[in-house]
Amino acid sequence: MYCINCGVKLADTEKKCPLCGTVVYHPDIKRPEARPLYPNNRTPKPQTNPKVINGFFIIMLLIPMLICFLADLKRDGNLDWFGYAAGGLLLGYIAIALPMWFKRPNPVIFVPCNFAAILLYLLYINHTLDSNWFMSFAFPVVGGFGLIVCAMVALMRYVRRGALYIFGGGFIAFGGFMLLVEFLLDITFGIPFIAWSVYPLIAFVLLGGGLIYLAINKSARESMERKLFF
Amino acid sequence: MTKKIKKPLPWLRLDNAAKIYPAARRSNWSNVFRQSVTLYEDIDTDVLRSALKVTVKRFPSIAARLRKGLFWYYLQQVESPPEIREEQSYPLIFMNNREMRRCAFRVIVYHNRIAVEFFHSLTDGTGALIFLKNLVAEYLEQKYGISVPFEHGVLDRQKKPSAEEMEDSFLKYAGKVPGSRRSADAWRKAVEPMSDGFLSLTCFNIPIKDVLDLAHKHKVTVTVFMSAVMMKALLNWQAENVHNIRARKRIKLLIPVNLRQIFPSKSLRNFALYTVPELDPRLGDYEFDEICRVIQHTMGLEITAKHMSSMIAKNVNDEINPLVRLIPLPLKNLVMKAVFESVGERKSCLTLSNLGLVKLPDIMGQYIQRMDFILGVQASAPYNCGMISYGDTIYLNFIRNVRDAELERHFYAVLQQMGITATVESNRN
Repeated sequence: MYCINCGVKLADTEKKCPLCGTVVYHPDIKRPEARPLYPNNRTPKPQTNPKVINGFFIIMLLIPMLICFLADLKRDGNLDWFGYAAGGLLLGYIAIALPMWFKRPNPVIFVPCNFAAILLYLLYINHTLDSNWFMSFAFPVVGGFGLIVCAMVALMRYVRRGALYIFGGGFIAFGGFMLLVEFLLDITFGIPFIAWSVYPLIAFVLLGGGLIYLAINKSARESMERKLFF
Repeated sequence: MTKKIKKPLPWLRLDNAAKIYPAARRSNWSNVFRQSVTLYEDIDTDVLRSALKVTVKRFPSIAARLRKGLFWYYLQQVESPPEIREEQSYPLIFMNNREMRRCAFRVIVYHNRIAVEFFHSLTDGTGALIFLKNLVAEYLEQKYGISVPFEHGVLDRQKKPSAEEMEDSFLKYAGKVPGSRRSADAWRKAVEPMSDGFLSLTCFNIPIKDVLDLAHKHKVTVTVFMSAVMMKALLNWQAENVHNIRARKRIKLLIPVNLRQIFPSKSLRNFALYTVPELDPRLGDYEFDEICRVIQHTMGLEITAKHMSSMIAKNVNDEINPLVRLIPLPLKNLVMKAVFESVGERKSCLTLSNLGLVKLPDIMGQYIQRMDFILGVQASAPYNCGMISYGDTIYLNFIRNVRDAELERHFYAVLQQMGITATVESNRN
């Protein structure tokens, strides 16, 4: 292919003429796919030492933990609320800093780890307060929510071109999950069932159904793209 | 139990030419260049890692890191080869001080391409090419089980490096009478570099036969011919920007000269100087043949053992002056940086470095598709140009840190006028 403006012969990799910037296009010629000379990434990754970042996060974790420990201890010589604060900080660390220890953190592994950590934290609170809401409420709610999120994350990572189906299905599942939450609230805390959960259920089902409709119907999808592109 | 004492790794003084590069560095610029080989098949990174391990041991002066002494920088052999990187973005991404302290060269893989980027203090284009040839030879031997003969720069990698390879040939071949560095400033278009540091690469693939035929017609070599094309393009570019002929400045092209062709050196360190043909556009328009003659005669006059040894003597005299040697490194850096800014780069519009036609053992040829040589941009000028020939093609890589491809357009226009068809490719898509 030649540039129609400056006449230079262009390699198959070029979408624009490197000399004059004219877009390469010919209605009758289909150009063969060619691998670009360099990756299409304008900004290289910053060269930061992961050990330095991880060290920074550990210090950021330890300093508030130490402050909480001393503050709690100084009040009456006992540790009352330190465990909650430390657990919260650890949750934050697991969610943000732990994946940075790995070169290519896989969300399919780290997202379930986060939910498991939340469950452990809630179990600790339940145990410390001598309550009995963990098994009947916290475990099924966090577990159910985690199951939906983990399934979506795994599907997004391993299934190609299915984002609309995955999000559509996910939204519908969240709608159903709302019913479950209200039902569990009824069982555990005696709040009457079927009061509010129908509204988010309808909204999520409509949203999810709409996305699945767009996934199935190509012309509707194109029409939406045309109207919503930015 | 006796404690095993770890022997410190060997170290080397920087050669005469290498001394300026660490001092001339800026916060966003260092003098780095790249050579690459593109194979027909994708690169097996594990095999390349193993090949690199063997190769770095053979080239202790190149596989090195830059360290700081009290009075001078020095090179120290790296303990282990650097991690092989994947190509991330544009070539010759800024090499910062921390990286140089760890290892002053990089090995980068992109599908079927092996690229090595060298900080210029390690070696020059010729030394780098030998390193790359040996790395690729070792890779091909390990990957395909072939046996590559020791010819055309491929060395026995099991042997220890000879003293000749490690020597600073500048000190050996310096003349007795120093030459002069005095010369006029060159024209440079004032341009603002791109804020994100992106380096645009434009590669012209030119059939070698077309260039050879025309070069023979003008009775010059390929280097002279391509330099003439570049100078003509620079003249046209200046004419487009500066309409008043009296206000035009000299067009000067820096052409590196491999001193191993003049002196019997086998050094794998820096051993290159340069010649700078110049044209004064105020004197009138230049015909292409006229430009060829200017370059040819300048090269003929300057690329002689006597002239080059006097130029070497000038550089070496500064280095061996006892007063200069006793100045602490931070002060020396300040002075060297000032010298580099005032006389180093301002004396030419850009560099056109030609590594020539690469010869390889026949058995390697069947695995190799192309080769590239990319210079980094200069510290204060937007362009540079590296050229290498492999097979039946010249690969001429322009690099720039500004948006517009003005010089490339003028360069192509001159080629087009000469009847040469070039295929062009870039890293902007």
